[in-house]
Amino acid sequence: MIRFTYAAIATIVIGFIVLPLVLIVWMSFFSNPILSFPPEGYTLDWYRRAWSMSDFRGGFFTSLQISLCATVLALVLGIPASMALVRGSFPGRDTITTLLMAPMLVPAIVGGSALFVFYLEVELLSGVQVAGRLAGLIIAHGLIALPWVVKLVTTALTGMNQSVEEAAASLGAPARVVFLRITVPMIWPGVVAGGLFAFVNSFIDLEKSLFLVGPGRTTLQIALINYLEWNFDPTIGAVATAQITFVTLLLLVTSRYVKLHRAF
Amino acid sequence: MPSSPPPAARLRGSGPVLPAVLFVLAGMIAPLALMLRTSFDRFDPETLIVSALTLDNYLRFFETPFFREVLGRTIAISALSTAICLILGLPVAYYLARFPTGAAKSRLLMLILVPLLIGNAVRTSAWMLILNDHGVLAAGLARLGISGPLGLMYSASGVMIALVSVLLPFMIITLNSVFEGIETTLEEAAGSLGASHLTTMRRVVLPLTLPGVLAGCVLCFTLSMNAYATPVLIGGPKFHMMAPTVYQQITEAMNWPFGSALAFVLMGMTLGLTVGLTLAVQRRYRRWMA
Amino acid sequence: MSDVVLDRVAKHYGATVAVESMSLRIGSGELVALLGPSGCGKTTTLRMVGGFVPLSSGLITVGGRDVSALPPSRRNMGFVFQNYALFPHMTVAQNVAFGLEMRKLGRAEIETRVTGALERVRLGAFRDRYPRQLSGGQQQRVALARALVVEPDVLLLDEPLSNLDASLRQEMKIEIRQLQQALGLTTIFVTHDQDEAMSTADRMVLMHRGRVEQAGPPAEVYSRPRSAFAAGFLGVANLVPGRMTRMDTGSDTGRGDGFVTRAGPVLRLRGHRSIQGDCVLALRGEEVTLRTGQPAGDENALSGRVALATFHGVAIEYHVETEAGLRLVARVPAPGVGGPEVMAHGAEVLACWAPDAGVLVAET
Repeated sequence: MIRFTYAAIATIVIGFIVLPLVLIVWMSFFSNPILSFPPEGYTLDWYRRAWSMSDFRGGFFTSLQISLCATVLALVLGIPASMALVRGSFPGRDTITTLLMAPMLVPAIVGGSALFVFYLEVELLSGVQVAGRLAGLIIAHGLIALPWVVKLVTTALTGMNQSVEEAAASLGAPARVVFLRITVPMIWPGVVAGGLFAFVNSFIDLEKSLFLVGPGRTTLQIALINYLEWNFDPTIGAVATAQITFVTLLLLVTSRYVKLHRAF
Repeated sequence: MPSSPPPAARLRGSGPVLPAVLFVLAGMIAPLALMLRTSFDRFDPETLIVSALTLDNYLRFFETPFFREVLGRTIAISALSTAICLILGLPVAYYLARFPTGAAKSRLLMLILVPLLIGNAVRTSAWMLILNDHGVLAAGLARLGISGPLGLMYSASGVMIALVSVLLPFMIITLNSVFEGIETTLEEAAGSLGASHLTTMRRVVLPLTLPGVLAGCVLCFTLSMNAYATPVLIGGPKFHMMAPTVYQQITEAMNWPFGSALAFVLMGMTLGLTVGLTLAVQRRYRRWMA
Repeated sequence: MSDVVLDRVAKHYGATVAVESMSLRIGSGELVALLGPSGCGKTTTLRMVGGFVPLSSGLITVGGRDVSALPPSRRNMGFVFQNYALFPHMTVAQNVAFGLEMRKLGRAEIETRVTGALERVRLGAFRDRYPRQLSGGQQQRVALARALVVEPDVLLLDEPLSNLDASLRQEMKIEIRQLQQALGLTTIFVTHDQDEAMSTADRMVLMHRGRVEQAGPPAEVYSRPRSAFAAGFLGVANLVPGRMTRMDTGSDTGRGDGFVTRAGPVLRLRGHRSIQGDCVLALRGEEVTLRTGQPAGDENALSGRVALATFHGVAIEYHVETEAGLRLVARVPAPGVGGPEVMAHGAEVLACWAPDAGVLVAET
């Protein structure tokens, strides 16, 4: 009886979370000219249309480009930092960890607007334009990505039994070999998961990019929002479905490396 | 007295953190500091910023009924949607935590986690097609003989519904990890001492989840205070919350000093309220916590 | 009075059987130890009695009252968990009072009984501490006080001593037994440690693969194991396998394959139960004597060499490799307590045992 009550509540609440996404996928196949119910027929035209629109196609590739660069940046900065934070012995490690995680805690709308004002003032002073350019977006997204890499890589390092490395060393392996043959394979799942989480969170970001996009350089999320301000047709459904599929696939890949819910 | 090691030795191994630290300092701390400074500047329609050291922007915010209302609405909607998320999230998180480990549990968790990472733009647009007057909900109700405009689009209730749905996964995942950490033997012990399920939850389990409840509430409250997509898309142009207002002031009105002040009021309010809540809760559990 | 009866109680998880049709009666005031290796079903059985695991079939009654379908909260049993399961956010006194509050007792009554219970486990001074501020042994005693204060019909203990270190375990073992006897509580005690079971229980129930392997008073089970498993689990060092082809009760000898002693394939036996076919002679290390000359009297004897000697304070254990390739363990008093001189590695010896030593059990 108790179990049944819990199961019933869980079903309703999970339905409340998931059902809208199921509906938008379904409606992306409707032939109705505006997103409405019930369906008048079914078509794949909206997918063709979404792909033909430069806002969406361009937005997708811009997002892909930015997120990939941001992920690489976060990995390059985050992995050595995590190693030093877990293994090093210098004062202020807790403070530094908090600092590196802080971009996750500062609201995106505040962080984004601060970066925007910062870019413009830098431009006023030096004449170098950053806002509205790819570099500006990559820096902003690097800040989104970095905490995820630090979080998952430090978790992997802390969770690793260090006596395994000592065992390898006592069996005659030099430090470099211990690192490559023992440490790297053992923290690899954390690195891959960190990278994937960094990528997904950068890809779906809306609020931070809002201030930094420029003409002809819009991310997919901004393109969606802009389109929704004036239009409401199943093209939205097609784009949403594509994104749902993309993110789900990435998460399924990630879940092979770490328990997803442990990442939060 | 033991001699302290030379500074070089004390910093051994700290080298690799420097690039990341510099990146965060330059990309986040410096912009925030500059923005704080900007919030004390004066706005000029011609030159945009006039360097000054004035509280005018903050005073203008708290003296203008419109902005006070926007802040009040934002706080009210955030507090309410956080409370609803907590009430709905607790039983689900508990159910998931006590679900036998296996493939079925992983799939259930995926159903929570995938929406969490689908992005606010897509999730909010999905709610638009449910809430609008020709949408799924209206069609469903019409079939039951209830017709007429729903009035959920461009309304506070509509924003709340969508916001709760968007934020619930964050609450559930946070609470779930706390429930997972509570040993089932504690519930069994309470049961064998004569406590019913509800008493066990109230007297034993919930007090132990307090830190997690707090973490989940802080997360949801922060996200909802700073929500952008939901108020813009569901609330429409006449429904004002803080985040879209910050955006308007900075990019459309180009009033950076006032926009900066708005952003800091938003961050200050979020921080102030969550820290207050944290302290209040900590007072209750710090005695038995390690 | 509350005796506990398990009537053909079984627990299946899908196709796996955790407990297979178990019947057992625990008399009022009796302490029964459920003993066995991990996975033998002892904890599942205890948890079924406690009400945490629903029965697949069968019946559990307490004092004649069927409790099989009752939730734990309505069984009035005291359960002490392996990890103690103290409520971390409640003080010692609040933990102990919890069960009384559930029974809706008055404040004064609760206060008196909590104080009494804490005095009984000598923790009166710790009533306002939180569990994490207590040592393992103190936590254990709080758990015990919490279970006892509600005056349960039955006390259930799940491996209560396994998280304590050796000296504390000894102390708590005695304390639990004394409390149980003083209160006359019907008690079920689950353990994987035979010493714990033997020194506390009125009756020992040895479980294996979800079934009762052997039950009886500790002394009886110890000296008369009924199966090779029981003998092995109870620490019998030598399980000599063989095949009994003829058992001569008149002359008390057995003839068979495998038992190749110095007298040929003949085993001299006295007072053993009759057995046929594949069987095992379970011999304790103490029952084997090592000699360098001739066997004394009508002893059975096997010749071999010392392969290993280990020192155990009062005794030395010799592992003797016999000519037939069998390894026999003999536990001999150490020289310091009047035993013979230490034998060298490789020394030729005769491993001997009396005809009435050991137990013959059927091969399982």
